[in-house]
Amino acid sequence: MTAGAVALERVSKRFGGVAAVEDLSIAVAPGEFFTILGPSGSGKSTTLSMIAGFEVPDSGRILLGGQDMTRAAPRARGLGMVFQNYAIFPHLDVFENVAFPLRARGQKDVTARVMEALATVRLQGMERRYGRQLSGGQQQRVALARAIVARSAIVLMDEPLGALDKNLRYHMQTEIADIQRRLGMTVIFVTHDQEEAMNLSDRIAIMEGGRMIQAGAPREVYERPVNAFVARFLGESNLIAGVAEGAALRRADGTYLAAANVGTPGAASLFVRPEKVRLGAGSENSLSGRVLRSSFLGTLIRTEIDVGGDQVMTVDATNGPGMQALVPGAAAIVSWAAADSRLLAA
Amino acid sequence: MPLPRLLAWLLLLPSALLLGLVFLLPLGWFLGNALGELGSGSEILSEALAIAGSRAMQRSMLVTGEISLATTLCCLAIGYPLAFALTRAKGLMFRLVIASVLLPYFTSVIVRTYAWMVLLGRTGVVNNALQAIGVTQGPLSLLYNRGSVILGMTYVLLPYMVLTLFSAMRSVDMRLLQAAAGMGASGARIFLRVFLPLTLHGVIAGSLLVFILAIGFFITPALMGAPEDMMVGMLIERQVEQANNWPVAAVMSLVLLAVTMVVYAVYSRFADIRRANPA
Amino acid sequence: MTKPIVTGRRAVIAGALATPFIWRPARAAQQLVIRTTGGVYDDIMRRSVYDGFTKATGIEVVTAAATMSKLIAMYKAGGAEFDIIDTGDSGLLNLERLGALLPIDYASWKYGNPDEIIKELKFPYRVGSYVYATVSTYNKQAFPDKHPSNWAEFWDIKAFPGPRSLPDMGSGQPPLELALIADGVAPDKLYPIDLDRAFKSLTRIRPAVPKFWDTGALSAQMLSDKEVVLSAVWNGRVQTLIDKGAPLAIEWNQNMIQVQAYGVPKLSSNPKGAQLFVDYASQASAQVGYAKELRYGPSNTKAYAMLPQDLLDIMPGGPKYRDLGFYQKIDWWEDNRDRVTKAWSNWVLG
Repeated sequence: MTAGAVALERVSKRFGGVAAVEDLSIAVAPGEFFTILGPSGSGKSTTLSMIAGFEVPDSGRILLGGQDMTRAAPRARGLGMVFQNYAIFPHLDVFENVAFPLRARGQKDVTARVMEALATVRLQGMERRYGRQLSGGQQQRVALARAIVARSAIVLMDEPLGALDKNLRYHMQTEIADIQRRLGMTVIFVTHDQEEAMNLSDRIAIMEGGRMIQAGAPREVYERPVNAFVARFLGESNLIAGVAEGAALRRADGTYLAAANVGTPGAASLFVRPEKVRLGAGSENSLSGRVLRSSFLGTLIRTEIDVGGDQVMTVDATNGPGMQALVPGAAAIVSWAAADSRLLAA
Repeated sequence: MPLPRLLAWLLLLPSALLLGLVFLLPLGWFLGNALGELGSGSEILSEALAIAGSRAMQRSMLVTGEISLATTLCCLAIGYPLAFALTRAKGLMFRLVIASVLLPYFTSVIVRTYAWMVLLGRTGVVNNALQAIGVTQGPLSLLYNRGSVILGMTYVLLPYMVLTLFSAMRSVDMRLLQAAAGMGASGARIFLRVFLPLTLHGVIAGSLLVFILAIGFFITPALMGAPEDMMVGMLIERQVEQANNWPVAAVMSLVLLAVTMVVYAVYSRFADIRRANPA
Repeated sequence: MTKPIVTGRRAVIAGALATPFIWRPARAAQQLVIRTTGGVYDDIMRRSVYDGFTKATGIEVVTAAATMSKLIAMYKAGGAEFDIIDTGDSGLLNLERLGALLPIDYASWKYGNPDEIIKELKFPYRVGSYVYATVSTYNKQAFPDKHPSNWAEFWDIKAFPGPRSLPDMGSGQPPLELALIADGVAPDKLYPIDLDRAFKSLTRIRPAVPKFWDTGALSAQMLSDKEVVLSAVWNGRVQTLIDKGAPLAIEWNQNMIQVQAYGVPKLSSNPKGAQLFVDYASQASAQVGYAKELRYGPSNTKAYAMLPQDLLDIMPGGPKYRDLGFYQKIDWWEDNRDRVTKAWSNWVLG
């Protein structure tokens, strides 16, 4: 049962004096869909390379299925992989591409297993085509089939959907999630797309500057970010500047806003997601101001309100029956519950 | 991205003109007139068949083929790892290797060949070194044999192989090799199943180029070979310079050209130049 | 398979190939262009002949190199760029037979005296400038006590083992005469050469020949690098090595005397000046200088009296070795060049 476990213990890697990954510890449970999310240069690809064995950490350990594989060659690790840009072999047809991991490992029943993998990604009938004859989505499926054909307990995916357009990407996310659950494999997924991360993952690790900032279930990191970076990186957020006093934020004008947590004393931001804010007066936190602009986003109507002190509040309201947009310049009051807001160190 | 047809033709025009004026026109003129001396078409053909069937020409073609093939294989054996090292070398290392590969082109063939004589002669560097460390008792005959011809020609032709292979290897997406390793392939499998197939068009193109160039060699075999290492190029040169027999030289040239065209035809049947470079 | 050389059509080709050899716009009448082998040879000839000629006549001498095939091509193209051709006499005979040369105007000579020229070197269309010899040269370290004293012993690879070299077809003349003498033919009975016998004789020595030389430079290189310990080479080449201290010595017995000569092309634009040059160059005093430097025997008999004894001792055509040698018969070579080229290729390729 531990075959699919992945653990990084205090792993560091430097390139020419620059820290790419610093003191990173991760524990992924078997069967978990674990996403490493971060902007480019955050160290997520280096982390994946070290798990795959393309890079060796300067310090720390990497355990795969409970075994220390820190310095093992890539081929000794028995991983399935989906590469950025797919890395489809141009001189091999679809069948041989998918058969590659099996032949490389000297496994039996190649034909049956390739057919099975192709069926899983719904690419039957394409066996004799070459990569250049396939659409982007089909190439992606070949890459996926190749990652699962050897039935590796652990599959690494490096921005696998980056090259697809938005609709196809969402569609493929669903398929990947389905396959992962069906096969019960551990997936370590690297992306810089936060929606993709939240849609797919059991847990998300957010990296910045070579360090892991926060790891947790999508909802947890979304609603309870540990700092302003995480808050901003995972979608829209309101961050109101002030000073933390207990479980409240004192603004520059001396008014107080209540939070769900006790902040670190000193300069701080009060965080609240736009969809947790209501237009209209409320019993807990509220601010008044004037409408700056109102944007129609289909299922959402986004309103930006200047509440004074260089602070703009963004409010997302679900579009519904009789819903009207506010006119810029109109007076408005916004309110939200203390339970939906958190104090973050500035 | 395909160029507009007219533009493509216009771009081709200068080189076509140059080729036509300084190569095809004089060549056609020479062949036409030299062969004209032999008489009618059937007389030319019977003369050509007589020359092609002559013992000297057949022996010489065989010698030429053997030497060219061996040279091509040597260039490939040395050039392939060298080209691969070039794809990995950076900065100063890259420039050093490139410079040493291209160095033969900065010196004349005579100087290069005398350099080999200094190295390989009976009192040359290699023989002296071998005797000094006690490997051999007397001097070995390293010069004036088949091996020294192949060595000398390999040295001269190596850059064509290396540069052709280098450009083929450069176009290989190195992430594919990493991907293969990630999928469990051993180094040997990565080479045989991924890298070699992806560079095969370079191997074929480079080998063909070297082989065709080798077929026409005559200075290196004349200087470094044994008497019997007489390549067709030398035979033709003798007809022009010693016998002053241009018709025979022309016919021999045509036989050589015909062989070259056959090699090229075989090549283009098996390798489509445009398709061979995978996107 | 082969045909006589001259036909009208080849002139057209020759023109296409041969025209751009020398660029010489509107040449002054007071200038002569002479074909030479180039290199150091030009410097020696300039010091000993050209400078004096210019001083005496006011006519400049310009040198340029060209192979025999280029000279022939030039003539056929109707664009001879040369006024004088200084080359081996076989090449000049070739040109003479093409009708490319003017007769030497012996009657007009005022510097030289035709009667002083060695009679074997005096021809209607060419006049010898010097003789050189193909001699047997041996390494004294390899043969300290006994060395091959004639071509038969040179050929005896058992009695005198060691790698040796001989001229290649590429040098102009493969060693057919030497092969026949080695096989027992008397030097005055060589011509017409029995090709089969000559090549049979060559086959006997071939196992000991790693390389036939095609240029004088290569023949010297192989001797000085000890690639061979025995060689048939031009005496001037080996003398240079001996002077530099190489452990080599010449066996003059049965030396084959060959001739360098002047000819005047029909298409010369200054035939009068050219004849004057040939006249000037044929006088004894003009020949002493290059005879000393080249170690080749002058064609003017009077010149020998002006040379020191130590030079006469190493000079072909001189009193000491003339009787040991024999003249190569160029006519036979020009009649049989095509045949010999073919036979050589067949023999070499086995």
